Amino acid sequence: MGGIVFSRVRKAFGSFVAVKDLDLEIGAGEFVSLLGPSGCGKTTTLRMLAGLEFPTAGTIAIGGRVVNDVAPGKRNVAMVFQSYALYPHMTVGENIAYPLRKQGVARAEREARVRAVAETLQLGALLDRRPKQLSGGQQQRVALGRALVREPAAFLLDEPLSNLDAKLRAHMRAELIELHRRVGKTFVYVTHDQLEAMTMSDRIAVMHEGVLQQFAPPRVIYDQPANLTVAGFIGSPAMNVMDAELVAAAGGAVAANGLLRAPLAAPGGGAGGARTIRLGVRPEDVLLGAGPLSGRIRVVEPTGHETIVAFEAAGASFVARAAADFSGAPGETVPFDLRSARLHVFDGATGGRLELSGAGPISAA
Amino acid sequence: MSRLDRRYAWLGVLLIAPTVLIFCMVIVYPLVSAIYLSLFSIFTPTLTGHWVGFANYADLVGSHEFWRSLFNTALWTVLTLVLQIALGIAMALMLHQNMVFRSLARSLILFPYFVSTVVAVLVWRWLFNDLYGILNHLMLWAGMFSAPIDWLGTMPNALASIVLVGAWKYFPFVVIAVLARLQSIPEQLYEAATIDGAGAWSRFTDVTLPQLREVLLVVVLLRAIWDFKEFDLIYLLTGGGPVIATQTLPRMVYKAAFGLNQMGRAAAVAVSMMLVMLAFMVVYLRIASRREREGRA
Ligand SMILES: Nc1ncnc2c1ncn2[C@@H]1O[C@H](COP(=O)(O)OP(=O)(O)OP(=O)(O)O)[C@@H](O)[C@H]1O
Ligand SMILES: [Mg+2]
Repeated sequence: MGGIVFSRVRKAFGSFVAVKDLDLEIGAGEFVSLLGPSGCGKTTTLRMLAGLEFPTAGTIAIGGRVVNDVAPGKRNVAMVFQSYALYPHMTVGENIAYPLRKQGVARAEREARVRAVAETLQLGALLDRRPKQLSGGQQQRVALGRALVREPAAFLLDEPLSNLDAKLRAHMRAELIELHRRVGKTFVYVTHDQLEAMTMSDRIAVMHEGVLQQFAPPRVIYDQPANLTVAGFIGSPAMNVMDAELVAAAGGAVAANGLLRAPLAAPGGGAGGARTIRLGVRPEDVLLGAGPLSGRIRVVEPTGHETIVAFEAAGASFVARAAADFSGAPGETVPFDLRSARLHVFDGATGGRLELSGAGPISAA
Repeated sequence: MSRLDRRYAWLGVLLIAPTVLIFCMVIVYPLVSAIYLSLFSIFTPTLTGHWVGFANYADLVGSHEFWRSLFNTALWTVLTLVLQIALGIAMALMLHQNMVFRSLARSLILFPYFVSTVVAVLVWRWLFNDLYGILNHLMLWAGMFSAPIDWLGTMPNALASIVLVGAWKYFPFVVIAVLARLQSIPEQLYEAATIDGAGAWSRFTDVTLPQLREVLLVVVLLRAIWDFKEFDLIYLLTGGGPVIATQTLPRMVYKAAFGLNQMGRAAAVAVSMMLVMLAFMVVYLRIASRREREGRA
């Protein structure tokens, strides 16, 4: 129950295609985030799942049942809107009870279930208030309550935390994780905030311009991004990327450019022919202070628990995460190294990930 | 008080003075003089008369014509108002949908409201006419009646006719007000309700109507006041007839003042009318202030 399957789902608004041939299989009870930049089709995908938008092509199934022709109210999903969409003329209690009323649940049971949900979300004292008399965080919880009370097969959440301040957002994030664990239902969570996606999800679906880029657990998305788009979008500061040539060498291949030579090896052996590639390395895998390479510092940004250092080497820009006590100053030359085991290699033409990894220390060009 | 404070205080008085002055000129003076006039017996052409105290009012209380007119006024107001509101809401809901020629329809719907009452009534009289009116012609042709109907000269047809024309003339006001409110209801409320399992009718009663309550309260009050004192439409359509069957209070004021040349009596009717409207006002303010207190904070 509660698994969700998108099969070749496409959504066009006129000639503009918002979602392109989406294949996505979400397991029952899984917490999945749809992540991507603004306008990439996350909300459209969620709205098709809720039944508020109709796919131009393809099928959507919830709990094994194709729901393309099922009315939103009959899909057994609950949705939490970014604007909360609480009914302004109803009290908190009436808001939460509303879906039950529409399902024809008897009054006594309705009240019991509302009370239980109110308890879970600590809304007990607010049941007689109207939405306007609540803070943003409280309204958020009421919206969650209205979804929870139905005990649906799946929860759909569209950027539910984006109207909250940073502190409350962190708090609600923890509450949502806790809530998911407790109710054990499928959560589909739309966000453009990678921190939310990374911290809460079992798996993340990264979208870009209507196309699903990668669907994998957060750790995999971060460590093995499927392509340059995902690599660039996930991680802050963003991954450093440089052009390089892949040339065959003894025992594998070597990536070389004006800055460095990095020996690479494919897990199964054989690195393919010579070609242009893009070499990526995350800021935390750039080690400042010692190493075969050298760069010139441009900007030093201490954030308190670490220092972000931007520097130049062989005409390319790099960003590194350094220790809080990093002592370099702009204009100075600094030696550095890259963690060769954590190099990311992408095809220069398609941007797709190549299954190659560092196979030995990096040397200067 | 410092000098500056005093100067500001004077500035304040100066700034509201024009408003107070105009208010006195256009509201207080006519009101007071109407009450004053109602205490005299006055011959309209010469505007001369003598003090009679409350005799005009005592007269009214004992007059069948007054009570009948008051009843007619209330009946006309309630009937035409209900029809206006129902028609107005229905039309606003229709115009709120995505349909072809929506903006054209939105402007056309205002036509009855903008057309001059005299013109509108003349057209309707022509439509209603028992000898050559299109209405009778069509009904006879369709075999609904065997003889022409007298729409304006008999009861209850005359009442039905003024109620209908009144609703037709004024429902666009309701449409405008309701449509404006409809457009400000967030779409997400409907989507949330849809997902919560509400059908089309539930969405209307649970989302739309509650949101319309505020605006309907104002519209009903305004329209009630305007319908209550409606004169030209009724005067031109039936003249209050047959006999006094559709005579409302404003028509009675007119008749007393310029038909019977009893300006004092006319003023007394007008003042009574005002008292009834004052009652409306008090009820409205009660409701408004109660809603204010009812946690709309
Ligand atoms: N009803 C519509 N008509 C036409 N185009 C639409 C409609 N709804 C969405 N779009 C377009 O589809 C694309 C995807 O929209 P969508 O709302 O799914 O983006 P999103 O990923 O949720 O972005 P955001 O993070 O800004 O909410 C956008 O380019 C948007 O302009
Ligand atoms: Mg969105």
